[in-house]
Amino acid sequence: MPLQKKIKSGDFVVLGEFEPPKGVDFAPFLKNANQVKGRVDALVVPEMGNAVLKASSLGGCAMLQEAGVETVFQVCCRDRNRLALQADLLSASALGIRNVVVTAGEDIRFGDHPQARAVNDLDVIGLLETLQKLQGGKDLAGIELKGSPTYFMGSTIDTSTPGGLLEIELDSLKKKIDLGVEYIITNPVFDTRRFQQFVKRVDTTQVAIIPTVLLLKSAGMARYIDRNIKGTSIPSEIITGIQKAPDKVQECIAIAARITAQLKEMGMAGVLISTVGWEDRLPQILDEAKLS
Amino acid sequence: MIVAKQKPIEEIIEEVKDSKKLLILGCNECVTVCEAGGKKEVAVLASALRMYFMNKGQEITIDEHTLERQCDHEYLEEIRGNIDQYDAVLSLACGVGVQFMAEKYFNIPILPGVDTCFMGATEERGVWSERCQGCGKCVLAKTGGICPVSRCAKRLFNGPCGGSTKGHCEINKDVVCGWQLIIDRLKELGKLDDYETLAPIKDWSTERAGGPRKVVREDLQA
Ligand code: SF4
Ligand code: SF4
Repeated sequence: MPLQKKIKSGDFVVLGEFEPPKGVDFAPFLKNANQVKGRVDALVVPEMGNAVLKASSLGGCAMLQEAGVETVFQVCCRDRNRLALQADLLSASALGIRNVVVTAGEDIRFGDHPQARAVNDLDVIGLLETLQKLQGGKDLAGIELKGSPTYFMGSTIDTSTPGGLLEIELDSLKKKIDLGVEYIITNPVFDTRRFQQFVKRVDTTQVAIIPTVLLLKSAGMARYIDRNIKGTSIPSEIITGIQKAPDKVQECIAIAARITAQLKEMGMAGVLISTVGWEDRLPQILDEAKLS
Repeated sequence: MIVAKQKPIEEIIEEVKDSKKLLILGCNECVTVCEAGGKKEVAVLASALRMYFMNKGQEITIDEHTLERQCDHEYLEEIRGNIDQYDAVLSLACGVGVQFMAEKYFNIPILPGVDTCFMGATEERGVWSERCQGCGKCVLAKTGGICPVSRCAKRLFNGPCGGSTKGHCEINKDVVCGWQLIIDRLKELGKLDDYETLAPIKDWSTERAGGPRKVVREDLQA
């Protein structure tokens, strides 16, 4: 069932995050995708996350669509001006990609090409307006399109921002919903109880919340995130759980599966499982979380 | 200098229309030279606004003042004693001055009366043109003293595009081709070899890519 329909029906959706390669060897990417084909509802293809050069989201989506996997195309304001963004969006639609997630993109200075010139011609709100326009059959200049696209529009939200900043995120979410956003993907969730506080503040009849479940790879990674990512705390049981486990990889998989199951239990619209390089382990997480 | 031009009067009226007591604040530096926001422009704009509001039967007091600079703490302090009587300030300084005023006088709206355009020079009275975009890593030593960032429409670094015709730029025939100028000057200086060497790919991190910029000189700090 197409992602949009499934979310609308209220069924729990499972998304996987599949980052395209840095290079042209897409074989592992496609192999891992084939392993989860039929078990995930769609694969989200990031557009150069953390401003690190990779093959593009559009390229990755095109490869996956060709392999018969539904995709979520990530469009980012950082690197493209309004011409390039519209061109990619039109191409995406023609390639059969319907699901689009808009993001601002992390700043270039955090990536591996800090000498690059950031574009930011449109901001996220402007980009959403662009999507609306294209769907209405015209481009941003008001010129008629030959055949107009249809998108299932989503965006991202940072639920971990403290106090007043969260208000700003929620205000901006309202604007996004008015501009047609139907689902939002959150930053990684480790503490489901704390996450519940955020969920309470969102009208889930208006927008589907899809939390990210990040596969930890070691206790060190967990500690690093806990200490260094602002607003994200990892419960100490999780960290000590990994430390004490005889099979640490297995424990990490079990943690991701457990959080996934809890989020399902909480009535979330779905999850995005991010395996950051361990895409081959996604089937195990799905098994453990008892997701078909 | 920073080149600015006065905003259309309708836009200025829209900005100040709710004010009862307005201060129009000029700046004695760049905007005076480009005749957009100096003492003279403050006076002309003040009388135009007074006239407009009088015709509308709307009461408004408009005072005039011009500071030496609006981008300097010292000069901004000059008006601290009497700024509280105004419900708005229309600053005719560049965007830097407007913001510096707003930072200092946090509870009074500081409105821009000019559009800040670029860093440029006076070609002749009434004509100003762009010369620099503050890229933070000047390449003029290699380009015959002519800036490819601000003077080539495509910001090319390795010679002209195919669109350069008879010394004019393809985007607009009233614009001189920056690269024609560069080549002419390198020839004059006997430095055409500079033109032959490939320019390294430009590092934009010193431009805006790295976020808002700052220059800090510790040796000068108190
Ligand atoms: S190279 Fe950069 S600093 Fe030098 S004139 Fe051009 S824009 Fe200004
Ligand atoms: S014609 Fe000259 S100035 Fe214009 S874009 Fe080409 S090289 Fe640059």
